[in-house]
Amino acid sequence: MIRRRELLVGAGALSLASLRGAPARAAAPEVVVGVLYAMSGASAQVGVDARHAIETALDLINNDHDLDLPGAKGVGLAGMGGAKIRLVFADHQADPQKGRAEAERLITQDKVAALVGCYQSAVSATVSATAERYGVPFVCADSSSPSLHRKGLKYFFRPAAHDEMFSTAMFDFLDAQRKRGQTIDSVALFFEDTIYGVDSSTVQRKLAAERGYKLVADVKYKSNSPSLTAEVQQLKTANADVLLPTSYTTDAILLTKTMAELGYKPKSIIAQAAGFSEKVTYDAVGDKLQGLISRGSFSLDLAAKRPMVATVNAMYKARAGRDLNDNSSRQFMAMIVLADALDRAGSTDGQKIRAALAATDIPGNRTVMPWTKVAFGPDGQNVHADPVLLQWIGDKFITVFPESAAVAPAKWPMNA
Amino acid sequence: MTTQALVQVLASGLLMGLIYALIAVGLSLIFGLMDVVNFAHGEFLMLAMYATFGLVLVTRLDPVVLMPLVAALLFVLGAAAYLGVVRFAMRAKANQGMVQIFATFGLAILLQGAAQYLFTPDYRNVQNTWLGGRTLELGGIFLPWPQLFGAVVSLAAFGGLHLLMSRTDFGRALEATREDQGAVALVGIDRNRVFALGWGLGAALVGLAGAVLAIFYYIHPQVGASFALIAYVTVALGGFGSVAGALVAGIIVGLVEAFTAVILPPALKSIGVYALYLAVVFVRPQGLFGRL
Repeated sequence: MIRRRELLVGAGALSLASLRGAPARAAAPEVVVGVLYAMSGASAQVGVDARHAIETALDLINNDHDLDLPGAKGVGLAGMGGAKIRLVFADHQADPQKGRAEAERLITQDKVAALVGCYQSAVSATVSATAERYGVPFVCADSSSPSLHRKGLKYFFRPAAHDEMFSTAMFDFLDAQRKRGQTIDSVALFFEDTIYGVDSSTVQRKLAAERGYKLVADVKYKSNSPSLTAEVQQLKTANADVLLPTSYTTDAILLTKTMAELGYKPKSIIAQAAGFSEKVTYDAVGDKLQGLISRGSFSLDLAAKRPMVATVNAMYKARAGRDLNDNSSRQFMAMIVLADALDRAGSTDGQKIRAALAATDIPGNRTVMPWTKVAFGPDGQNVHADPVLLQWIGDKFITVFPESAAVAPAKWPMNA
Repeated sequence: MTTQALVQVLASGLLMGLIYALIAVGLSLIFGLMDVVNFAHGEFLMLAMYATFGLVLVTRLDPVVLMPLVAALLFVLGAAAYLGVVRFAMRAKANQGMVQIFATFGLAILLQGAAQYLFTPDYRNVQNTWLGGRTLELGGIFLPWPQLFGAVVSLAAFGGLHLLMSRTDFGRALEATREDQGAVALVGIDRNRVFALGWGLGAALVGLAGAVLAIFYYIHPQVGASFALIAYVTVALGGFGSVAGALVAGIIVGLVEAFTAVILPPALKSIGVYALYLAVVFVRPQGLFGRL
């Protein structure tokens, strides 16, 4: 078996050598970028959508498009002599250890210049540590755990907001509702048991205490459980004014179904996105989630102010068959931000790319997000990634907070 | 905790336990018949759920009506899995146990991959069913209709299986083959045929469970995994090969899981089930009803 593999590798090397030897076929220089998502397993759907989002960005970067996004105009990366980006996808199956191994493989074997990923915060934690060890920049697209940028990593960059920023927006919104005369006394936490859920709950617990909201239920549950009946029972007994769930897709669907089965209609729900951003969740149980508010980094209604958003969305939809959402928009932007840095770095050297990423300064109106701009702090976190709150009304999300971005006032409470 | 909440936990645990039992019984049946653990059992469940989803989409009939058809399809799948894979694994000259484990495990990975390729990794959901989302409320206790229905199907399936095993020639042939594979050949029973029918029957039972689950659970290529793990524990707890054991153990697992989630933080709710399982392994390794 080994012999056969050696033979194959040898043959591959030979054919490569002959390719390189033929000047007529000399390919344009290329930059290899590694992309890590769960392409199989229970969260494969997010990984498959991520691939479409990142390939949409790749299309914009490698081909000429008349859009005011970094890298869209012109072919390839101008700063690298028109080099094109080639993506290598790896499947981490939502497993932190597989993520670490795949990151290592991409760096040592595929010689990637940078990494993008990984959705699950638990996986981004191991991947960011691996990238750091090899001095390869990691653009964390869509993991929101605040602990990720607090490890003193030099090669970690996150253009999007983290859960502290998101949760602060949620409590700012609650405070604003209180000022309007709404009675909001109690909150209930419902969160999954990996670092995404645990970190989110830590922030929310702290904010609730600081701002005077009584915590009436604090339910940590096992993700991908066959049943959530006992958990929902606790939430129902507590009957908080606001339920704050932090869940991936499977649990988001099961939670909603179980709440309906046990006759529990939460007064209001403000979700930490993830599963509650996914179209499949609303296809399955959208009728039961009317009026749900989710934090978000993205809203399609931004297209009214910035037509480019609609163009990018149409490109993505042609591939994925669905609109951009909170997750896929961040994946798209991560690739754009990385390409912008690669272009300025003019090299595939890890240190130079790192320096270029650190010097990133993209104004908000050159993104598809409601952000003020993209510029990283010393910890690699973009502090200008202003979050929004979106409300599920009819069959779409509408921006309801902050007021500067809102297109309609929030319906509150969700279930009067 | 109020009495009402206690009764609710009891009822939820019981209903879920009966469904766990229905999922596990096919596994137990196959093991009892030929000492093979089917590691693709969860994938059979997943395919049953997709079959329900697909048939609902095509025929516009309710999953309750389509249930016999799903069971029939799974019967064919189970028999085909035996004739196409397991039969060959059983011919291994050495280390037969390992070969069987890897054969069914490989089948599981193949089925998962094929499902993701053909059906995409999107989460599916059977909409607008007669029972879906409906709940029976009795004095503040909520009993979801899909689970109630599942419990009835489970009890009926166990009743039917008991009659089949004790009253029919096929049942006697199954029982005889399980007692002594060599001797049955002498009296003219085709061992392969009995095994294929046994696999079909085991898969048909999980087909019933899949049709019930499809009413109230999301459908996904990996959906079988979490249920399969519980099914293995259930079978080991009840005693490998014991049909009655699967029923009792399923109910126990459902109840223990529900009550653990009340006593401990819900994130640790599987601890109760596995602690019980360990205790059984230590004290009574053959399981509650095992005959080993």
